[in-house]
Amino acid sequence: MKRAFIVVLALALVGTAGSPAPAQDKVIKFGFPADFTKVYTFITEEWIQGSVDYLQYVNLKGGVGGYKLEWLITDHGNEPQRGIEAYERFKREGATIFDLVSTPVSRAVLPRALKDNMIVVMPFHGRSDVADGSVFTHFFSLGANYWSQAAAITKYTLDQEGGNLKGKKLALVHIDSPFGKEPIPVFEELSKRLGFELGLFPYPSPGNEQSATWTQVRRFRPDWTILWGAGVGQPVSIREAIRNGMNLERVISVIWVAEKDMQVVGAQQARGLLRFEAAIPGRDTAIVRGILSEVYQKAGKGHGKIENVGTTYYVIGINAVAPVVEGIRIAREKFGEPVTTEKIRQAMETLRDFDEGGLIAPITLTPKDHEGGGFGRISQWDGTKWVPKSGWFNAYREIVWDLVKKSAEEFQRSGK
Amino acid sequence: MTDIYARLAYPAELAANGALLGLMYALVALGIVLVYKSSAVANLAHGSLVMLGAFVTWAITTHLRFPLGLALVAAVLVMAAVGAGIERLALRRMAGQPLIMILMLTLGLEIMLRGLAPAIWGAGSKPFSIGISQDPFFVGALLINRVYLAGGALALVLMLLLMLLFHTRLGVVLRAVSDDYVASWSVGISVERAIGLTWAIAGGLATLAGAVWASVQGIDWTLSLLLLKALAVAILGGLDSIGGAVVAGLLVGVLESVISGYLDPLVGGGTKEVVAAVVILLTILFKPHGLFGREIIERV
Amino acid sequence: MFYRRAGIRHTSYETDSRVLPIPFERRLLGLLVVLALTAPAWLPDLYFSGYLLPWIIWSAAALSLNVLMGWAGQVHLGFASVMAVGAYASVHLVRAGVPFVLALVGAGLAAALVGSIFGVPAVRVKGLYLAVSTLALQYVVDWVLVHVPAISGGAQATLQVPAPHLLGWELASDSARYYLAFAWCSAVALFTLNMRRTALGRAFVAVREKDYAAEVIGVNTYRYKALAFWISSFLGGVTGAVLAFAYYRVVTPEQFSLDVSIQVAAMVITGGLHSVVGSYFGAGFVLLAPIFLDRFLRAGATLLDVAVPSTTLAQLPLVLYGGLIVGFLLIEPLGLAKVYDNVRNYFLVWPFGYARKSGLGR
Repeated sequence: MKRAFIVVLALALVGTAGSPAPAQDKVIKFGFPADFTKVYTFITEEWIQGSVDYLQYVNLKGGVGGYKLEWLITDHGNEPQRGIEAYERFKREGATIFDLVSTPVSRAVLPRALKDNMIVVMPFHGRSDVADGSVFTHFFSLGANYWSQAAAITKYTLDQEGGNLKGKKLALVHIDSPFGKEPIPVFEELSKRLGFELGLFPYPSPGNEQSATWTQVRRFRPDWTILWGAGVGQPVSIREAIRNGMNLERVISVIWVAEKDMQVVGAQQARGLLRFEAAIPGRDTAIVRGILSEVYQKAGKGHGKIENVGTTYYVIGINAVAPVVEGIRIAREKFGEPVTTEKIRQAMETLRDFDEGGLIAPITLTPKDHEGGGFGRISQWDGTKWVPKSGWFNAYREIVWDLVKKSAEEFQRSGK
Repeated sequence: MTDIYARLAYPAELAANGALLGLMYALVALGIVLVYKSSAVANLAHGSLVMLGAFVTWAITTHLRFPLGLALVAAVLVMAAVGAGIERLALRRMAGQPLIMILMLTLGLEIMLRGLAPAIWGAGSKPFSIGISQDPFFVGALLINRVYLAGGALALVLMLLLMLLFHTRLGVVLRAVSDDYVASWSVGISVERAIGLTWAIAGGLATLAGAVWASVQGIDWTLSLLLLKALAVAILGGLDSIGGAVVAGLLVGVLESVISGYLDPLVGGGTKEVVAAVVILLTILFKPHGLFGREIIERV
Repeated sequence: MFYRRAGIRHTSYETDSRVLPIPFERRLLGLLVVLALTAPAWLPDLYFSGYLLPWIIWSAAALSLNVLMGWAGQVHLGFASVMAVGAYASVHLVRAGVPFVLALVGAGLAAALVGSIFGVPAVRVKGLYLAVSTLALQYVVDWVLVHVPAISGGAQATLQVPAPHLLGWELASDSARYYLAFAWCSAVALFTLNMRRTALGRAFVAVREKDYAAEVIGVNTYRYKALAFWISSFLGGVTGAVLAFAYYRVVTPEQFSLDVSIQVAAMVITGGLHSVVGSYFGAGFVLLAPIFLDRFLRAGATLLDVAVPSTTLAQLPLVLYGGLIVGFLLIEPLGLAKVYDNVRNYFLVWPFGYARKSGLGR
């Protein structure tokens, strides 16, 4: 046994002794170092499947003007040092476009990627202030950041209350981490402006236990309850809301809640819950239908379980790469070959109301705005699926941009 | 009058749910205490055994379509085998080695199991229910968490069963083993079998704890994070005291709920973990062997 | 053969108590130092900045903790928070205009101050009880770091790390940062190598082996326990600062979470308690094994052309990594340093294997 163990070990070491990928021209590589094993497990599987299936779909349709898309995937376990290693490794293997699917890792890799002029996308994770394209030249949010989501959710409650929130109570039930605390400045500013009372109810990470928090929430008697959590904390929050007799039709979640959370809570019990969404789940959209028939049924090259196709996080995975692919297409047509990250960036900055055939909230990018407008909509769980309750909208852009500017300036000032 | 009543209802509700929550922690801690009691090993893999137990129960109900009760029995048996297997294949060979290395070994097992279950059944969260309604449940003015109530009751029952176990003939054997390996060997007790048995029981306990916690949060790898709270509770109780784990669970649960209920709005942050940490620190400082732990008399 | 000790005659106490008594080992170390010093020139960028640099720094962290866990025998499961204190202190000091070297000292002092608090329970408890006390303190320190915006850096909870300036030079390139890390790591290694030869080190060992007995022979247990926490935290604090300046370049709370504490403890334990070379092995193993296992499995899956979903493929390295820890400990319960020692002992008398037990095993 001892010897066998050593032999296996030796083989493993030999096997890892590097196998650099053959260099090809007309290839653009995406690097997906992601967290498959720790905090982000609840999204990663579907997210990466969505991204890869989309790239595969583009390839099957002939690529982007002769360019083939390739991808590299690895697990970084949400550990910054492993993320940096994966970034350096993928960079060496030729990746130029990155999605790191983890906030801490995105932040840790940021100084390096900034220096290397790599395209890094951070839809719904990472730093919110990358929306400022004048500072973060090659980084893109490609979707409503947390500040935009907070603004949109408040706007929705305002509209539901007939345009007047005076004297109303909004409870923000949030995970007690930097992510959970990020929207607070927006809510505080809006509370001053609109005259509602804001209650903050933090619960400790990871959120599998919130009973004491909800005892406080119930006594606050909120008119609207906003859930700001992710992963395991979300179904627990929703359950506690039900248990405390709250009307789920007045509970709105940040983007991180999906079908499977509803299954955990109980699909019927969770009926009525509202959430922010920026990409349309389900299989009715042209792109998802195309992926199902071309990638899964015809080619049999799907990157995971077919049940995952069209789930909330799957379409966010498409949201993460589709604008970049569009950018590559424009870059090739406009600026010619070879396509470089610089050209892709410039091309992406010309995107106007890009919605990938009605799949995602429209994105308009400019050299200044790398977020895309911060559009999204509110949808409701009806027991089997998410039903839209509004059209695409955004709100209070000046508050969001104040925060973005302030944070980006702070970033620029420090680190020198 | 009603004002005072309403004001008292708040801490009372916090305390009641905190107590139940503490019992839920104790439910996980019992397995740790049991193993420590017999073999003086703090099993850092217990959290992932809890996770694995939940996964196994889920797999039996969904793939084999067993009814819940039967599935639980089957899962307990499977996990008892897993527990005994771990003892047989890994722990037994480490007997006599430095304690910290054994601790590291259980940590290695923890990492292994934490990867194994999601590798087999997928990393996404799995829904799981033990059939407890989620509707509000009031006792007077107090809103009580039904799942916690069930879990707390289960913890108390298991505590009593374990206490009874230690009064049977087998329990006497276990106590002898925990007192002194060598002396037990010399009077003809099969130490290996006794320790193997406690690991099997711990595996079964982990499954029950896993099922209850899974009905709170669903099944994914985060169930293994319960280890930290449970370990703290077990140590606070004194590591080798079954009743101690339960008392410690109640103490931590009530204090963290009530204190954080008043402190959170003041400091603007979730203080529950910190309150629990401080409670544990202070208790250990004043009671170095936990609340009910055996004082070890050291000789030079 | 390699470790030949024939003909080595110690004619003075000075040579006998050298750190490395065997010439071959001195030469080996010399070669390694030369290789390490020239690494920026010959090592590919990925291996240099992706593997070597973090390995060196984490080795320094493991060595720092080893002073406490290996030498003084005090379990510590909150070391990452001590390193965090060092990292945050140094960044804030440099931002406030304090010269880099002084900021490093300040980081060490701040960490030593906080780290000494971790040592308070050690006066009363030991073993697992101490482990849980340190765990509890990590929660408290982490909470403060996250909840005081002045420390954590505001809404994004991220602190940019300015480029360090040393004697007027800006350490901008990776290799300059590497030399900083290498210098620090060497300093810690030298310090711990010399522990064995000092009264301090011997007192630590006495406390570790049996604190009551140490007290009886006149070692002030409390004092040395406190000192062990102080020294180890000082070293850990500076290591945290080096980690921030030479490697991460941003500081976020997640870089110093509880997981990291457990990883550093795992580095010390799998490497081997109170072993310098073990700390390097342990750091390398804990840091690099998951990465290489991941690469290996992915390369294998591509090579054999089996379509394994990425998520399953991502869990398997975890299984193997845990399995490796278990396997190593079952084969050699005293850690990787003992594995090295076994090899060394074998070669000390090779080819005369029957002449083992030579008593030179250090």
